Amino acid sequence: MAKDRLASVLERWEAVIGLEIHTELTALNTKMFCGCPVAFGGEPNTRVCPVCLGMPGALPVPNRAAIEATVLAGLATNCTIAEWSQFHRKNYFYPDMPKNYQISQYDLPFCADGFLDVEVEHDGAAQRPDRDAGYTTRIGITRIHLEEDTGKMIHVGGSEGRIAGATHSLVDFNRAGTGLMELVTEPDIRTPEEARRFAQKLRLIWLTLGVSDCNMEEGSMRVDANVSVRPRGETELGTKAEIKNMNSFKSLHDALAHEIVRQTEELDNGGRIVQETRHWDAGAKRTSSLRSKEEAHDYRYFPEPDMVPFEFSAEWIESVRATLPELPDEKRRRLIDAYGIPVHDATVLTGDDLDMAEFFEAAVTIGGAERAKAISNVMLNDLSMHLNAAGISVAESKVVPSMVAELVGLVEEGTISSKQAKEVFAEMAETGDAPGAIVELRGMKQVSDTGAIEEVVDRVIAANPAQVEQYRGGKTAVIGFFVGQVMREMGGQANPKVVNEVLARRLGG
Amino acid sequence: MSISEAQVRHVALLARLKLTDEEVARLGDDLNSILGHIDTIRQLDLADVPPTAHALDVVNETRADEVRPCLSREEALANGPEVAEGAFVIPRIVGGGDAS
Repeated sequence: MAKDRLASVLERWEAVIGLEIHTELTALNTKMFCGCPVAFGGEPNTRVCPVCLGMPGALPVPNRAAIEATVLAGLATNCTIAEWSQFHRKNYFYPDMPKNYQISQYDLPFCADGFLDVEVEHDGAAQRPDRDAGYTTRIGITRIHLEEDTGKMIHVGGSEGRIAGATHSLVDFNRAGTGLMELVTEPDIRTPEEARRFAQKLRLIWLTLGVSDCNMEEGSMRVDANVSVRPRGETELGTKAEIKNMNSFKSLHDALAHEIVRQTEELDNGGRIVQETRHWDAGAKRTSSLRSKEEAHDYRYFPEPDMVPFEFSAEWIESVRATLPELPDEKRRRLIDAYGIPVHDATVLTGDDLDMAEFFEAAVTIGGAERAKAISNVMLNDLSMHLNAAGISVAESKVVPSMVAELVGLVEEGTISSKQAKEVFAEMAETGDAPGAIVELRGMKQVSDTGAIEEVVDRVIAANPAQVEQYRGGKTAVIGFFVGQVMREMGGQANPKVVNEVLARRLGG
Repeated sequence: MSISEAQVRHVALLARLKLTDEEVARLGDDLNSILGHIDTIRQLDLADVPPTAHALDVVNETRADEVRPCLSREEALANGPEVAEGAFVIPRIVGGGDAS
């Protein structure tokens, strides 16, 4: 679907989006209510015990570290931490849930009433006709509660492991009972880009807190979205659909974009929206109805009788708050204040991953704070392009902070030109060699010696009398021709600034 | 407060219980008898008694995040009516469920 299609739809329609984000507490050693280890994959049914298999008489005991992680997550997202909270049983039947109920939280969750401020850059702002540049928007967080994850099913006999057409299924309870944090937002999100930025920012916060690896492909972070549309200016909510199975940020964005267009087309054609769950198919680029039974869910929540309630003192909550690390927003502000880099640079460096800001600070420590902007430039341009082209993360790249610091130093000291720096970058990204060594090896040193440059300039001027006449006749653009000639003669190693100066002086005379 | 026959059948459906008409009637009587006890409690003046889900005066019972031994896979699967490839085998799933 073309980008402008969504933009034109959003000129007439407003989308109302709320997210439900489940995050597995993968950083913990053990599951939520038993001592079975937390891990990904492995041989089926090898990390299970009577508690997570739901055997009669087994007694679940909550993991203290999981509760602390959830409270920490609430504090990091501006939530109020409940003084009084408890677990409930949510009753339903599904084969991946051994107890026939899930231990969750109902009316007394650990955290409520938070928010995150989300920065939307220029491109994404195009989805908001009521905003005309990059903007910041506040997304409310209704609640964060703690529950347990389900097991996994492998569907056999159908195509591509899908449930449709399967003859039977295999159930693996290794994941069952893993601590699962569920965050629910207010319906404050208006565009697919805002949804993506919110989810990305939340992931960064969770990574900073160290509560989860937030791997969307492996399912340790799962984002579901409720979306409805209404004509611009309307204040009543439209009928919503719930979208599932978006296992990347791109999928989240694209699924919402498609769903918004689908709903508006349906309404434009005189149809109506059915409240239902829809499955995103990233391959076919469309959502389709899961056709779940019309029967309304009745979970019959009741207080978990196997566990006592929680009472958190203000002192205890403050003691957890004291362990909060520097969060992405604070880091962004600090990078701007401490190094004087532009807001855009700081937003990019802290916006997608923790690694970039870490890399930046390491490079600045080596190269000096006065080179912070130059280091940031190399990272936002050369490094980002290299990472995108290679499809790798900064941790996987051969480029390390000391190399970028050294490269910037070589340019600032005038050893190489910024054009040469691009070549050196490409080579160091490929080989992992230090930039100084590359410059040495390839004899790339820039010539800034005015005497040497003057000699070549005089030769070029003597050899091209026609162009000299053009220049002196007022056609000063021809200077580009002379720069090119000098550079060619000097193998591209002349300092362009000095060449321009000398040329202007000699030609002007 | 009393429970109707339709409510008994609805709760039975949610709990996946297949009841005979005779059982619906008997369970309806049982449930109404339990609700009768609650009505008795309701007649008391409980304005000053905070609601509680627990009789115990205990809060914050937790455990440390320490690994304990698991069951062997043989033990874990021992009660499975059908087992294959180290997993419980279940029949074809037709709709429904909840993935959250």
